Amino acid sequence: MSRSIALILLATALLAAAAASAAEAPTRDEYVDQLEAICKPDALATQRVMKGARADIRAERLAAATKKFAKATSIFGGTVRQISTVPRPPADATRLGKWFTYLKRQESYLRQITAQLRQDHAIKAQRLTARFIHNGNLANNVVLAFGFDYCSFKFSRYG
Amino acid sequence: MRRAALLALLTALVLAGIASGERVQRGNLIVRLDGGFAPLTLPRDHKAPVSVHLDAGLQTADGSVLPRVTRVELGIPGQGAITTRGLPSCTRRRLRNTTTERALELCRPALIGTGRMVAQVKIPHQAPFIVRARLLAFNGRVHGQRAVIVHGISARPPTVVALPFLIELRPGKFGTVLVAHLPRNLGPWPRFARFAMDFSRRYVAGGQSLSYLSASCPIPRRYTAGFFSFAKATFTLADGRRISTGIARSCRAR
Repeated sequence: MSRSIALILLATALLAAAAASAAEAPTRDEYVDQLEAICKPDALATQRVMKGARADIRAERLAAATKKFAKATSIFGGTVRQISTVPRPPADATRLGKWFTYLKRQESYLRQITAQLRQDHAIKAQRLTARFIHNGNLANNVVLAFGFDYCSFKFSRYG
Repeated sequence: MRRAALLALLTALVLAGIASGERVQRGNLIVRLDGGFAPLTLPRDHKAPVSVHLDAGLQTADGSVLPRVTRVELGIPGQGAITTRGLPSCTRRRLRNTTTERALELCRPALIGTGRMVAQVKIPHQAPFIVRARLLAFNGRVHGQRAVIVHGISARPPTVVALPFLIELRPGKFGTVLVAHLPRNLGPWPRFARFAMDFSRRYVAGGQSLSYLSASCPIPRRYTAGFFSFAKATFTLADGRRISTGIARSCRAR
């Protein structure tokens, strides 16, 4: 008897928890607004720190370019960590999971580009840049319907 | 050997991915831009002739009728240059109400590109239908300003348009911008859906071999390839909204 009461209580608690989490789950529009508010200052900061990075590479000022990439990597990593904690709309969970996989890969590419530039490995950095751009476009395609602006990948932000 | 082949294949796949079009969605509207240039291998320190392909379009996410576009802007980066010195030009007036054959007869020396366009036509109380037009691009001038005059002709319904894209020089990443205002006299019905254009023109002027479009791949000796913002398309809609997207491409240096 007491066992069945315990089971009922447990089931009720689980249902209540599920209902509460459903109530907390944002709609897609709310989610986009929340993320854009986080991404905007970071995207603008990335644009600021990366200003002239391509010109630096052209002029073979690798140390200056490396510093810029390192800063951009740190900003990008911070943004991904912040946005990954925001509750996701349940209907978009799979798609967003895929997007975050691309974002993590994007962060890894940025980290690798910085490391290769630091070691003066120009060709390796060049190959990784190609992958970084390609991966960024793939990430954008996954969340196309979300209409992200600051949270989307834009090559033009990188120098 | 096998490893080298695999690496080459992987590089080709990555570059093929980069060359696919990029899309941006705002609300229900999706803008797409794709394009490239040839040859991919260019000099590092001076400009060489190139041909450019651009393919841009609008679509709605739910398949509903497209909004009306009132202005189109196409941005080209600083690595590229447009040369019109010594190139014959044509006027919009000469191209008005001409067939493709007649337009070529009148202005062939000024021809700089060809292409295709698709538009949706929405007439009240009728189902929307698609219009396909053949495009010719001519070097021209409008009020003294350099321009690309695009001649479009469709067979069904029979329509001819001569639309100037003014060439504007601006500061910033996209130093050369082609701007077209879609005239009111086109009416409220045609809705721009897609265009694809190939620009290429080599000519001789003053004993010199010139190209309408030229570009360089300005990267240091230690690099073999570089990446740059290749083009940007911006559409202004009748309700004042603007939607744009840009594409990045790579060049190889020789």
